[in-house]
Amino acid sequence: MADRRGDFGRRGEDAACAYLLRHGYSIVERNYRCRRGEIDIIAAKDGGAVFVEVKTRRSLKFGTPGMAVTYAKQQKIRTAALHYLQQCGGGYNKIAFDVIEIVADDGKAKLRHLQNCF
Amino acid sequence: MYAKTFGETVCGINGEEIIVEVDISNGLPGFDIVGLPDTAVKESRERVRASLKNSGLMFPMTRITVNLAPADLRKDGSSLDLPIAVGILTAAGSLLQEEAEGKIFVGELALDGSIRQVAGVLPMILYAREHGWREIYIPQGNAAEGELVDGIDVYTPASLSELVSHLKKRERLTPLPKIQFGTGTAGCGDVDFAEVRGQQVVKRALEIAAAGGHNVLMVGAPGSGKTMLARRLPTILPPMTEDEILEITKIYSIAGLLNGKKQLVLERPFRSPHHTVSASALIGGGSVPKPGEVTLSHNGVLFLDELPEFSRQALEVLRQPLEDGVVTISRVQASLSFPARLILITAQNPCPCGFLGDKVHSCTCRPHEIERYRRKISGPLLDRIDIQVTVPRLEYDDLKDKTEGESSAVIRSRVVKARGVQRKRFEGSGVHCNAQMNKKQLNKYCKLEPQAEAMLGKYFAALGLSARTHDRIVKVARTIADLEGSAAIKAAHIAEAIQLRTSVQR
Repeated sequence: MADRRGDFGRRGEDAACAYLLRHGYSIVERNYRCRRGEIDIIAAKDGGAVFVEVKTRRSLKFGTPGMAVTYAKQQKIRTAALHYLQQCGGGYNKIAFDVIEIVADDGKAKLRHLQNCF
Repeated sequence: MYAKTFGETVCGINGEEIIVEVDISNGLPGFDIVGLPDTAVKESRERVRASLKNSGLMFPMTRITVNLAPADLRKDGSSLDLPIAVGILTAAGSLLQEEAEGKIFVGELALDGSIRQVAGVLPMILYAREHGWREIYIPQGNAAEGELVDGIDVYTPASLSELVSHLKKRERLTPLPKIQFGTGTAGCGDVDFAEVRGQQVVKRALEIAAAGGHNVLMVGAPGSGKTMLARRLPTILPPMTEDEILEITKIYSIAGLLNGKKQLVLERPFRSPHHTVSASALIGGGSVPKPGEVTLSHNGVLFLDELPEFSRQALEVLRQPLEDGVVTISRVQASLSFPARLILITAQNPCPCGFLGDKVHSCTCRPHEIERYRRKISGPLLDRIDIQVTVPRLEYDDLKDKTEGESSAVIRSRVVKARGVQRKRFEGSGVHCNAQMNKKQLNKYCKLEPQAEAMLGKYFAALGLSARTHDRIVKVARTIADLEGSAAIKAAHIAEAIQLRTSVQR
């Protein structure tokens, strides 16, 4: 069960990566982990870093995927991003936090890219 | 996507227009209200969300920002739920901006999408009409207030979905019909002055008070009928005019005292707060000031029974409204003026045991107790009470007297006549009765005959009267002359006025 759920999420992240690549982003890192938290995708575009949280859902029964990115989750991503920026040696002229929502309902998936969320 | 709708809130006793701006943008789902909202307005987020959902309407799952302008005015109450909901629907594209244009929305939302009654709708409608709005939407529970105001279309949708189909012109609502309410009715139908045995002097005093709007102090032993007499005062007051009815209904609307049964205040108010009342309950208060008892008895009677039992502080705050007819309350959040033109009727015992001056009972109080009892009421307050009478204990013969006293209706017709004279006299000056005259009007309208002048002069010196007392005696004399239909103030009128003012020994 746990694996299947993990699979579902990973497939969502794959789809998000494909989407970002199509839209002119380059993928810098996937599943960046540090002791402060995890970032699903770190992408880059026009010299800026974009930290992307991917949320994948099968239905809207419990609200939109984006609603699950609570304040606490946002803080975790922020600190993890800070951690990454200190490590990577700089070189970015701006940063952004995005959320990609994917709703996969009866074989059809819908993707929504929310920019500059927090 | 941006939308703009209009709502209203109450500021003092008047409505105030609130511009509700809604912006919906892409982002994580969120709902923020800015523009100095208080808790009830902030909580409207949850009400609006649930009621939109339960009305089968779309609640946008994106970033919603609501701005309430003007930003420096604190918004309270739940009446802004409806304009916020309409704003969200408009910004989300469910309604067109034109469909929400030119309309004011007032109402609290229930979670099921129905629209709940709110306080203060009448002043909001009056404000909307004055400022050229054509349409206002109010809760069905406030319909009676909507019927009062002419010259503006008032709609009462029962629910949010009903409102939306009306705005989308699918199912039109009809505006409320207007009612003609003419003049008010006599107060307190089940009591009558005819039931009062004896007490001719006090009845006369109350008649004069009703005719001229004068304040009264009744001093008497327990059980002598002070309370009974005071309760009958509203039955002899003249009926309210249309303006007076609107004014007092407005105040009751804000205080939230209008309900299903009583939607229009037609009787002059009669308020008798308990003597434990606090100063701020009496004159109004709260961090956003709400009207107090003096304002609730505007155009009517404020009856303070057992006057010395009231706290000193509560009594002293009465001084200013009694003089000016308005009370201004300043708090950090707002400084508001409420009208407070009332007849103050007070009653007290002559001493703690109640029998001082009685023919049969002997008073058991010690002199210093009596002194202390009397000192509870300050000179400045007493100075503002034009008529002070003693209410004696009834003799057995008086009590068993079978002849009916004069009925309220008879007394009232005399009062109405005297008020008619005053209305003509003060036309257009904003003054309604003799007690409210200012110094200039006093000099103009209260010419004393030479004998009257001489008599007043003699007593002024002999009794050591104050300048204010002098003026008040002349005003009472003016009322007595009006009751008699006399243009000039004669010696007899002055004599009675002096008698009414000074007969109670202090």
